[in-house]
Amino acid sequence: MTQLDTISVKTSDNVTLGYTVAGVGSRIVAQILDNCVAIPLTVVAVLFAGALASVFVTSSEGADFANAASGIFAFFVYFGYFLVAEAVTAGKTPGKSAMGLRVIRVDGSAVDFGAVAVRNVIRVIDFSVVLVGLVVMFFQPQTRRLGDLAAGTVVIRDRTLITLAAATSPPPIILRTPDAGPGIDGIERLGRFERDALRVFLARPGLSPQLRASLSADIAKRLIERLALPADAPERRWPPEMFIERAYLQLDQRLQ
Amino acid sequence: MAAGDVHRAGVPAARPTTAVNLDRFIAERQARWADLEAAIKTARRGRLRTQSARDIERFGLLLRQTSSDLAIARRDHPDAPITEYLNTLCARAHPLLYRGTPRRAGSIGRFFATALPRSFRAAWPYITASLVLMLIGFVAGWIAVDVRPDLRSSLVPPSLFDEMARGQISTGVQDAPFAAAFIIQNNIRVALICFAGGVFLGIPTAFVLLSNGWMLGTVAAAVRLGGYDVQFWSLIAPHGVLELSVIVISGGTGLMLGGAILRPGQLRRGAALAHVAVRAVMLVLGAASLLVIAGTLEAFVSPSGLPDGAKLAIGAVVGVLLYSWLVLAGRNPHRRRSFAFDRPAETPA
Repeated sequence: MTQLDTISVKTSDNVTLGYTVAGVGSRIVAQILDNCVAIPLTVVAVLFAGALASVFVTSSEGADFANAASGIFAFFVYFGYFLVAEAVTAGKTPGKSAMGLRVIRVDGSAVDFGAVAVRNVIRVIDFSVVLVGLVVMFFQPQTRRLGDLAAGTVVIRDRTLITLAAATSPPPIILRTPDAGPGIDGIERLGRFERDALRVFLARPGLSPQLRASLSADIAKRLIERLALPADAPERRWPPEMFIERAYLQLDQRLQ
Repeated sequence: MAAGDVHRAGVPAARPTTAVNLDRFIAERQARWADLEAAIKTARRGRLRTQSARDIERFGLLLRQTSSDLAIARRDHPDAPITEYLNTLCARAHPLLYRGTPRRAGSIGRFFATALPRSFRAAWPYITASLVLMLIGFVAGWIAVDVRPDLRSSLVPPSLFDEMARGQISTGVQDAPFAAAFIIQNNIRVALICFAGGVFLGIPTAFVLLSNGWMLGTVAAAVRLGGYDVQFWSLIAPHGVLELSVIVISGGTGLMLGGAILRPGQLRRGAALAHVAVRAVMLVLGAASLLVIAGTLEAFVSPSGLPDGAKLAIGAVVGVLLYSWLVLAGRNPHRRRSFAFDRPAETPA
């Protein structure tokens, strides 16, 4: 949990949750997608306001003011889009949603209006001449821009990468032995690490019998070395596949 | 429903000292993980608001159970895919349940009645500093014009003097609503930039304050040389009291951010900044909303044909109302002599 691209959050139950921080690339893409909504929205709003003004303006001075006002109106509509979108959806603008991103506070809780207001008012600075926000994001280990720093927020990946079905590892395939067999000498030298490794191997689907046999021979040889079995031990005469299956079953029983 | 009931029903007695068999672990508990996953999908717009109290309670229970499963999985099977799955599941559910205090209905009224004046008073050192910066700009501008009176014509358009000499500035802007729209939006933008500039240690904020003070100072000195003091101040007063106050308050919020970065106290700089910013943004947004009134006055009243005295009086009345609200509203009569450390936390709204 100390990788740079994750943040860990301690919940009230004292369980640490790891959040994957969104990268600069996905945030830029989300920004572009949001611009695809925000810019047309701004243009439509300004055109509408301009049409309204042209109906009611009666003097050249008024027209100057209307022009100046529509310029600033565009500013408010554009930045207001992000503010409203984040406030309404609790941190997922349409662009972020499409990229599977989400704004949360650094303590793992959802953003409230205050945090959304801060990060979107400071967006004005982040977008100013040299794209300060982008530069800060590059050097900030959690790719936060100035608005994120001031609001105490961070953009994370919200998409589930792994489903329950995929996470449930398939059961090991036991072919050569009906049961755990007689106890292997020195099995206590092996631990959970070996058990998990054997399980990964035994659960592997689609191995051809020849390949499974040759890999088993290799693994069995290493296991026997690790177990430091004497030269005349009966286990050395077991077929390698049977040996590792029995070793796995015995380890699994012992470690339960 | 007590947590204990479900614990007994759903989970076999925990074996704290031995590892849990991965298959059995998954088989016994995956039903509740699927439940939690389904519950996450029912959340709308990142909120559980639409659900019944019972469902939310159940959601909290599922999340606590699943996060304790995560802790077990971390201990026993740190590299198993199920651990990552549980982490992702909990990470998605956590922000749905944990969030800041919700805003209740009617809180906008309470915000203006108590929270805004309170946070104004809490921020007084920064607002004073902001006022001082603007005054420095004003005095510097005044002195500059006093030293170089020849600059006067470049600062104030001569046509303005002609109009003042004729005794009236202008008979009101035509299309005043458009002028108001421009003025209001422009000033709000300046106020927001004053606040946002705080993240650069408040340097842009200080620049805005100094330059606004400088402009006002040079123009004020120039019209004084021309002898049109009353006309000038009556042109400024109706809206200026409000507008300059809001700029000073916004400047104060920017300086608060800068101050939090420079002097974070016991917190880390980032945490200090975030702590201050979330409170300051409410002050600046509340203050900026006053600019709607200021801009309307600026477009409709200031350039109108009202006598100078009436305009000055409007300015004075606006000033008295503004500061009696900011200074007096939302005081708690029972806690006159409270110490700084037992003052209730300033929670905007």
